Amino acid sequence: MKTEWDIIVVGGGPAGIFAALEAAKAGASVLLFERKREMGIPVRCGEAVGKVDFHSYTEVDPRWISTEINTFVMVLPNGKEVKLKSNIYAGYIINRDLFEYDMAARAAAAGACIRMRSNVCDLLKNVSGEICGVRVEKRGTFQEYHARIVIAADGVESRIARQAGIASVLNIRDIEPCVQATLSGVDIPEKALYLYVGTCYAPGGYAWVFPKANRCANVGLGINGKYSKRGRNAESYLQDFLKRFFPEASVQRYVSGGVPVSTNLETLSLKNLLITGDAGHMVNPLNGGGITHAIESGIRAGKAAAGACRKPGEMQSLFDVYEKDIYRRFGKNHESQYRIKELVYQMNDEEYNRIGEEVLKIDLKKRSFLAVFRKVVKEHPGFLADVLRAFTGI
Amino acid sequence: MLVLSGHCDQCGTCVAVCPANALMLTESALVIDHERCTLCALCVNICPFAALEIKHED
Ligand SMILES: Cc1cc2nc3c(=O)[nH]c(=O)nc-3n(C[C@H](O)[C@H](O)[C@H](O)COP(=O)(O)OP(=O)(O)OC[C@H]3O[C@@H](n4cnc5c(N)ncnc54)[C@H](O)[C@@H]3O)c2cc1C
Repeated sequence: MKTEWDIIVVGGGPAGIFAALEAAKAGASVLLFERKREMGIPVRCGEAVGKVDFHSYTEVDPRWISTEINTFVMVLPNGKEVKLKSNIYAGYIINRDLFEYDMAARAAAAGACIRMRSNVCDLLKNVSGEICGVRVEKRGTFQEYHARIVIAADGVESRIARQAGIASVLNIRDIEPCVQATLSGVDIPEKALYLYVGTCYAPGGYAWVFPKANRCANVGLGINGKYSKRGRNAESYLQDFLKRFFPEASVQRYVSGGVPVSTNLETLSLKNLLITGDAGHMVNPLNGGGITHAIESGIRAGKAAAGACRKPGEMQSLFDVYEKDIYRRFGKNHESQYRIKELVYQMNDEEYNRIGEEVLKIDLKKRSFLAVFRKVVKEHPGFLADVLRAFTGI
Repeated sequence: MLVLSGHCDQCGTCVAVCPANALMLTESALVIDHERCTLCALCVNICPFAALEIKHED
């Protein structure tokens, strides 16, 4: 059995799959380990992605698209719906299980080797303390694999970065425990994303209703970790929400998951280690979206790692560029989004209602996200700079 | 002692917040390293399903 590889990828989510695909395409020998037993399952995800971004990464198979979205509706604590201008919210609700399954097959077709039911339990270090591979547990037996570069794509539960000495433990206020039910037989508008804001639905987070094909919908919520208590957790909030809005619906699927809502990890590379996706906390901390960030960072990490295998002398500079590119592409933006989150999620339900009612007075054609935030700014003037930064990317 | 007494969905949220690096997921289970666990109970509260609990031995 081959135990020497150019690149080992830990984790087979979107970040790891795309990293393996890109690195293999660039000619590196790539081995990917995934703890679970099936690619894409369970789908711990609302499955919402921006249309333009999604198409920019790979050739999209029509089977991956469940529904197309063009409308965005915010539901206030008092139940009123604030519809926002539609044309800027072009998105999809995807079938993420099919997407990941197919992409893993594409990575394998490009030459990457994929190993399931393989839990990476340790990073291996050589006598000089450098990372040289991983120790893997598979069905109770342990095996060591060596590589020149390790890519940590091990998601929110990441332990690889920690083992390398990077402080990546999430503070409880920087994580959202989430639960989601995929309902069937629901009657909701097919092209609209619904976000329920306010502490009555989900304190420090929001509840979502995302339509899927055949009258199904992903209905879930995340609460801020600091509000999560053993006796009052995400699951109990979701049960309340379902009872209130979908008492009769059947459930097709039930999942849970944690979403990192911090800013990006500061250190995304360490000598011959690269960190991608949720493992690097690359989720938009305001809306919790992380699929496209995982894909993009995976692609960039795969390319950088393959480049470093070809020219080992340039590893350091290639990895520096990786870190800088991630910061430029979304790390910086997430810093603004984080400050907005801190403000928005400390509003109480009366404030949400009042601001929402103000926004409702704006003509629908002019009712954008920015218009909403302008109303927030009126009440919290210091907020303006962050909003502008977040939306202009400055 | 920290024990898994309810349904664990293996979502990894507890692992992400464990400051002691005492929790790990395997293919099908959550593994608790009792030597590392400091009983801080962050995981007990963060779990979406109340699956974890601190049991006092008597
Ligand atoms: C309930 C919920 C809803 C969400 N909704 C959306 C949404 O609508 N839109 C959006 O854009 N984002 C959403 N997100 C966020 C999105 O799912 C993540 O940002 C995305 O999955 C990150 O991809 P990743 O590849 O970095 O990590 P993951 O998808 O978490 O993949 C990591 C993989 O690594 C494996 N792994 C971990 N450790 C090891 C190990 N030691 N050895 C082997 N394998 C290991 C795991 O089993 C896992 O498969 C949601 C998240 C949750 C929890």
